[in-house]
Amino acid sequence: MKVAYEKPKVEKTIKSDLELTNEEKKELYALVLKSRMFDERFRKLFRAGRFAGTYFSGVGQEATAVVPCYKLLPQDFVGPSHRELGCSIARMPLRQIAAQIYARSHSPDKGKSHPCSYGYKPSNIITPAFTIGAQAVLATGVALAFKIRKEPYVALSFVGEGATAHGPWYEAVNFSAVHKLPNVFVVQNNLWGESVHARLVAAFEDFSHRAEGVGMFGVSIDGNDVLKVWETVASAIARARHGEGPTLIEMKTYRWYGHSEIDPADYRQPEEVEFWKKKDPIARYEKYLLDNRLLSPEEKKRIEAKLEAEIEEAVEYAEGGEYAPAEWALEDVYADFKVEAPDR
Amino acid sequence: MGRVITYIDAITEALDQEMARDERVFLIGEDIGLYGGVFKATKGLQKKYGEYRVIDSPISENLIVGAGIGSALVGMRPVPEIQFADFVSPAMDQIVQQAAKIRYRTGGAWSVPLVVRICCGGDVGGGLYHSQMNEAWFVHCPGLKVVMPSNPHDAKGLLLAAIRDPDPVLYFEHKRLYRSVKGEVPEGDYTVPIGPAEVKKTGKDITIVAYALMLVWGMEAAEKLEKEGISCEVIDLKTLLPIDKKTILESVKKTGKALLLQEAPKTAGVMAEISAIITEEVFDYLDAPVMRLAGLDVPPIPFAPPYEKFYLPTVDRIMKKARQLKAY
Ligand SMILES: Cc1ncc(C[n+]2csc(CCOP(=O)(O)OP(=O)(O)O)c2C)c(N)n1
Repeated sequence: MKVAYEKPKVEKTIKSDLELTNEEKKELYALVLKSRMFDERFRKLFRAGRFAGTYFSGVGQEATAVVPCYKLLPQDFVGPSHRELGCSIARMPLRQIAAQIYARSHSPDKGKSHPCSYGYKPSNIITPAFTIGAQAVLATGVALAFKIRKEPYVALSFVGEGATAHGPWYEAVNFSAVHKLPNVFVVQNNLWGESVHARLVAAFEDFSHRAEGVGMFGVSIDGNDVLKVWETVASAIARARHGEGPTLIEMKTYRWYGHSEIDPADYRQPEEVEFWKKKDPIARYEKYLLDNRLLSPEEKKRIEAKLEAEIEEAVEYAEGGEYAPAEWALEDVYADFKVEAPDR
Repeated sequence: MGRVITYIDAITEALDQEMARDERVFLIGEDIGLYGGVFKATKGLQKKYGEYRVIDSPISENLIVGAGIGSALVGMRPVPEIQFADFVSPAMDQIVQQAAKIRYRTGGAWSVPLVVRICCGGDVGGGLYHSQMNEAWFVHCPGLKVVMPSNPHDAKGLLLAAIRDPDPVLYFEHKRLYRSVKGEVPEGDYTVPIGPAEVKKTGKDITIVAYALMLVWGMEAAEKLEKEGISCEVIDLKTLLPIDKKTILESVKKTGKALLLQEAPKTAGVMAEISAIITEEVFDYLDAPVMRLAGLDVPPIPFAPPYEKFYLPTVDRIMKKARQLKAY
């Protein structure tokens, strides 16, 4: 029997206008805010001992993860890392995100992966491995498949600046550049990789220089400027969809808290943290919307109240689940071969 | 008598036929396109299928395997090639942390139908970096399947089965067998199932378990031993993960003696596992300790020809060990 590709349903024209409508700008505001509120809520839940493991907060970096995933096509692929709550906020149901963190049987991964390994097949988000940077390699393979099949989709991957020192990430961007693959490589430079400063990771300040060495188009932007991130990513995505190749985007940003919730982050100067808190991406965007009368204070309140309710509902959903029976540990190793239960 | 071809031609034929049948299948690796592979396993395929179905990659093993995995996530059937098993180490992360774990870490939501072809094995004067047998590294990784054919029939059938398998399969091909082993291979489509071992020769005194080159040498030794009055049953393992315990245990229950052959260094190799399985499960049937004949516990394989001969479990050494075991 001959096997052929399932022919994808391809949109005839792909909307690549970079301008957001006022409604879309508000929608985007609600999304970054949702990421912030959810994140702060889950930090508290972790401290209250409500779920196991640890938690990686992306507070302060919402724009870099939420905005690129806003308005992707369902077929587009997202490869996040550990701090990319925002990708999932933009693309998958809140309940599933909460359930993933709680590692109960109704988590998309049935509790097999550590909290913050957000992945969801229906949203084409691959659950990350914890080997830093590997998602960029997978996204390159996805983009290769899109190219082979002549499909107009893109594969996004997200890493921190720390990951760009890792060999496999370099192999990926190099190959993607050689073959002009439909990739967008997002590098979130939050200055610190756990406790190692960016100056010990690269001999330059702008991580977009990494693109030069492989002949890729690269750009460094203020990652705390929501509309700048939107504009840059939207044009990179348009380029990718039209066969013009990958883009590396360095987004300068900052994580407000520790590497994970068990890290006091005392290797950083308080002045540095304060400096960056003043550049809060959400406050800045909010000001822009209010100043330009795209959002009213009442609307803002309404949005906040709605998000709060949504988040509480998701928390309830997560907490309402049970851990899976321990024997489920033996499942999902192979499709067609069952691992024997030991005699013990 | 059917058509007889070499082990390497059986591999090329399997790739060719599967690429013709299934347009999702593509190959990626170093020197596999324009050059047709350093051993010519992919000869002619790029010309026939184009540059994006037989992709000449840069020297980026992590990418070669990782791009395969990524493409598999969205419906392709990639067959990346690792030119020499010795150079699979840069791809370890992709194989062990990604391919092996993706089904598991996503609770079964995603799967990775991927075949990594890995050219391995010694007795070719390849030295420290072109001779290695490192299959045991991967047999320690649940989530992977590992196969290794010893003849052209299985080379084709296992490769076709591997490409159609829903999970990641490491397909080790032994370079010493590429052109030295010929056999009957059906021209059409068939698969050799992943999992079952095969009794290649029946016997009553000793069970020999082996795969790839050791199977070929084990068979040669068994034929010679037959004339000395030692009757060996020879099992071709073929699939190293998951292991077909049943075939091995049934044979050992019958013979009461097991001789396990392994080309890789002895310590913590595949045969250590087989030995443990035998002693755990059929200890009462044993008439002698399980014996292993393996490569030396030195970095494989030292280059100078006398070193390599000293390293390998040769036919003579297999016969000597079998005689000891028979006399036990
Ligand atoms: C290959 C690998 N080495 C080490 C680690 C441990 N580790 C986890 S996150 C991290 C720092 C990552 O820094 P960066 O890539 O900048 O991302 P960020 O945490 O700042 O978002 C380290 C060292 C790992 N997960 N994988």
